Amino acid sequence: MELFLQQVLNGLMIGSTYAVVALGFSLVFSVMRVVNMAHPEFFMAGAFGAYLTIRHVTTNFFGVLAGGMLVAAVIGLVVERLAIRPVRGRYVMIPFIATSGVGIALQHLAERVFGSDPVAIPPVVPTVSYTLGQLSVRNTKWGRATRAVAERPEVAAAFGVDVNFVSRLTIGISALMAGAAGVSIGILYTSAWAFMGLLYGLKSFVCMLVAGNRHIEGVMAIGLLLGVLEALVSGYVSSTLRDAVAFGVLVVVLVFKPGGLFGSYSV
Amino acid sequence: MSDFATFWAPVLITAGINSIIALGLYITMSSGPLSVAHAALAGMGGYLGAVLTTNFGWPFPLAILAGMLLGFVTGALLGLLIVRMNELVAGLTTLGFGETMAVIAFNIDYIGGANAFTGIPLRTTLPLVYVVLAVILFVAWRYDHSRLGYADSPVTADAMGIDITWVKSITFGIGAAIAALGGVLRAHYILVQGPEDMGFFISVGFLIFVVFGGSYVFWGPLFGAMTLTILPELLRFSAKDRFIIYGVLLTVMVILRPQGLITRRSMR
Repeated sequence: MELFLQQVLNGLMIGSTYAVVALGFSLVFSVMRVVNMAHPEFFMAGAFGAYLTIRHVTTNFFGVLAGGMLVAAVIGLVVERLAIRPVRGRYVMIPFIATSGVGIALQHLAERVFGSDPVAIPPVVPTVSYTLGQLSVRNTKWGRATRAVAERPEVAAAFGVDVNFVSRLTIGISALMAGAAGVSIGILYTSAWAFMGLLYGLKSFVCMLVAGNRHIEGVMAIGLLLGVLEALVSGYVSSTLRDAVAFGVLVVVLVFKPGGLFGSYSV
Repeated sequence: MSDFATFWAPVLITAGINSIIALGLYITMSSGPLSVAHAALAGMGGYLGAVLTTNFGWPFPLAILAGMLLGFVTGALLGLLIVRMNELVAGLTTLGFGETMAVIAFNIDYIGGANAFTGIPLRTTLPLVYVVLAVILFVAWRYDHSRLGYADSPVTADAMGIDITWVKSITFGIGAAIAALGGVLRAHYILVQGPEDMGFFISVGFLIFVVFGGSYVFWGPLFGAMTLTILPELLRFSAKDRFIIYGVLLTVMVILRPQGLITRRSMR
């Protein structure tokens, strides 16, 4: 029983990361119809931001959180300008491939700068989950508001909404959230790694696909659920099979409900 | 001569094998789906072929055929699975499939697990690679002009009375078989077959060959694979820098020239 509770708790911690990263994915997709494959790298940037902040600036938890989120947001805005804005509104595969390229370049750039081994992050106070929870709830409301505006971009533009500003804002917010998640994972495992975004990003994406992107609450619930499921599999079955759980669930769900469990916007 | 044996022969063999796998991806993608599973399919072929020649003493041609058969069946099933999905979800499903295969290969001790499968006999030679490449190019050329090739326009195909579900799944299978063939050749050249050869980055590498060269006519992937394999060797980029450049190149290409460098019009 104790093992079970311990695993569930671990699962919720990792699951909240999936939930927050997946939230950023679906926010950007539902507002702009862009699948941002560079999103996991904002998460990675957050962890490295935390590492840099602790080494050079402050060890205060909120300072570290702010540092990580800032680094992620800056990178997010640069990516928005260079790779997302030129392809926004084009056929969905084009932004998908363009941002995949950015993601690959960012991963190997980070490997170049920080080396291919994980860097150690000194431990800081772990009050992360609560902060993250707060953030995500606030952003859920915000996400709804923007989505209402962005449901019909041409109408919104006709009413004087600055579409570029909405784009910057959406990517910025999603990058801030991914950055916060990166800081929390970096602190939890006391390390940051150039390729840490890949697996978390993929699994968060799986959460969005399994839930469907129509309901942000659904995406978050699936994120938490996946975290718990993985923790239970690694606790009771085998820790090496853990990474296959998400993709197994994805294939099964997509075969029977291609739009996800709670419905999706069409592409 | 020694310069040829030590530098050019390995580079040309690698470029030839990359071209074969890129052409497999080209054929799969010509029927619609984006596949990020072709490294995994090539890896599965490589594993099977290597096990058959190394542990069971099968002749090399039979091992190649077995690898291709495995690739075809797996690819056709994967194609059947994703045919109803939209392109985006289909692409991500192939991604999930590839990563899962890498995880599974990582966990099977019989094929070496994390330490990779070693002790494979050297069977792949420079002439063999280019004979195979020539055959594949002929297949791709015939394919471009065949009834199957029309599957890249589902409406036309439907009007011609072609059953799209079967065509898409069989096309995926043919492309996968060619990728698996490349995988068997690669395993019998570098003599190691490991799970990291099946991962996301390797698949994206093949995707970049196709996107860079152009996915509308079979010269595109050939040009992309040859250029992007040989040029970095000539300029002596390290492996890390190569991926930074690949990433930037992929982004720039898809923004400025999404049809690739070589199109049908530029061939006329």
